Amino acid sequence: MNAIVFDHVSKDYGDVLAVDDVSLSIEPGKTVALLGPNGAGKSTSINMLLGLLRPSRGTVSVFGRTPRQAVAAGQMGAMLQSGQLIPELSVKELIDLVRKLYPEPLDLDEILKLADLTDLVKRRANKLSGGQSQRVRFALAIAGAPKALLLDEPTAAMDVESRLRFWESMRGYAAGGRTVLFATHYLEEADEHSDRVIVIARGKVVADGTAAQIKADVGGHAVRFTLGEQPAAGLDLLPGVTAVEVAAGTATLRTSDTDATLAGLYRGTTLDVRDLQLSGADLEDAFLALTRES
Amino acid sequence: MLYYAKTEALRMLRNRRYIIFVVLFPVVFYLINANIYGDQKDAGGVRMSTYLLVSMAAYGALASSMMSSAVPWAQERQSGWLRQLQITPLPSWAIIVTKLGAAMLLVLPSLLLVSAAAVLQQGVSMPAGQWLPLLLSLWIGTIPFIALGLFIGSLLSADAAQPAAMICMFALSLLGGLWFPIDAIGGTMRTLAHFMPSYHYANLGWNVIAGNGLPMSDVLIVVAWAVVLGGAAAYAYRRATVRA
Ligand SMILES: Nc1ncnc2c1ncn2[C@@H]1O[C@H](COP(=O)(O)OP(=O)(O)OP(=O)(O)O)[C@@H](O)[C@H]1O
Ligand SMILES: [Mg+2]
Repeated sequence: MNAIVFDHVSKDYGDVLAVDDVSLSIEPGKTVALLGPNGAGKSTSINMLLGLLRPSRGTVSVFGRTPRQAVAAGQMGAMLQSGQLIPELSVKELIDLVRKLYPEPLDLDEILKLADLTDLVKRRANKLSGGQSQRVRFALAIAGAPKALLLDEPTAAMDVESRLRFWESMRGYAAGGRTVLFATHYLEEADEHSDRVIVIARGKVVADGTAAQIKADVGGHAVRFTLGEQPAAGLDLLPGVTAVEVAAGTATLRTSDTDATLAGLYRGTTLDVRDLQLSGADLEDAFLALTRES
Repeated sequence: MLYYAKTEALRMLRNRRYIIFVVLFPVVFYLINANIYGDQKDAGGVRMSTYLLVSMAAYGALASSMMSSAVPWAQERQSGWLRQLQITPLPSWAIIVTKLGAAMLLVLPSLLLVSAAAVLQQGVSMPAGQWLPLLLSLWIGTIPFIALGLFIGSLLSADAAQPAAMICMFALSLLGGLWFPIDAIGGTMRTLAHFMPSYHYANLGWNVIAGNGLPMSDVLIVVAWAVVLGGAAAYAYRRATVRA
């Protein structure tokens, strides 16, 4: 049975279509990244998975049940995109409060260790820094030992060091055969920390696979040269090329295989190629190419 | 759920505003007034020090009911804490019921402190057969006010809930005759008081100390208010947590 299934799910807010006919399934035990720019529909999807929002059309299921049933059974834990803690309570009190609401929670010590909070147990929530509060919110998400963990932009407000430690903790938690779905804006984060990346833009799934596959699909490399007045026709047929852009006399070829493309360019065409530039696998470029308004 | 109720109570006890307005204010107010008017008698021959015990305990309980419900609740809704709870196995009715329970727990300090001040400083004494119904009715009778607080908290933003709760609290205290005996004012104020749940609530206590026992009509009116305001709170809560 799949951990998470979206079956032709759409969600509209009035006349804004936030999620547009999405179908996907996620196997248990996988760590999956939900990658997309602002307004792509990531939070909307996560809130539907938690039963906080109801889909306008289609069905969402978690471990074969409705999201509300899965929540009631204590199978879900989440870090929502925004959320504050109760200022008057200490870190320990907050974690204990949430732990005790779940049928089979993790041990307090284990949570503190995973979330790297051991030194802050007694600190009141209103005296925590932004990054520290994020860690407490992570602790609350895993406190009940949920089988499915949903993280909506979990590393926002964290510095580089905390990010590294955070992803380590996330891995530690996922290692127990748990399913993790996290939303992010950064292909790099998705690439490094997930088994699979689902790219969404404007409410639709635009790519789905391992990070390597996605990079190859969009053409992780670019070949750029001055085309001048010469015709661009045929460039898109060169080996390896996935997209061609011509602007102000400069041609940019996105390619999954630079060598083949260059060979084709020099041997297969009669173009006068000048100012040749090669750029490596630019992840952000690849991501932008995927999610740009077409 | 018990632990949830406990932490709810704990956090309010750490709130300075709650302590000052709700716990200290009624006691101080009682001591001042009782020391000035304490030896006078009201129309029924009850010493003012005892009469004021009921008024100030009722005021403290009323203030506590509203303070520990409206604003914290509005804040939790807005800050996303409610959503954090909604994704745990805690059923959503349990959240609001716990709020009610915790708020009732928080009424006790002001009730008991005013009573203690009355006994220790003013030498008020009553048979157990009066203390018990007095404290119980003033305790359980706070349900309509807590419901009103939760209603406000479900309906308004935290910024708006603060003044709304304050206004309701002062209006209920003043018009219900908790600060000045309505008999002393009379006229329209007296008519107005009869429309206030707070008047009937305090009247439970005033009747008990006068040796009349619990007046059935006031009990019924307080229960009716509890049903109406409880219904309104439940409706507003459902509206606030409904899944779009
Ligand atoms: N409550 C709402 N009412 C109306 N429109 C909404 C509401 N919530 C979200 N939207 C719209 O739905 C779309 C998807 O929003 P969503 O929050 O799911 O995006 P996101 O991928 O999480 O973005 P971000 O990276 O900025 O968090 C956006 O266009 C947003 O403006
Ligand atoms: Mg979002």
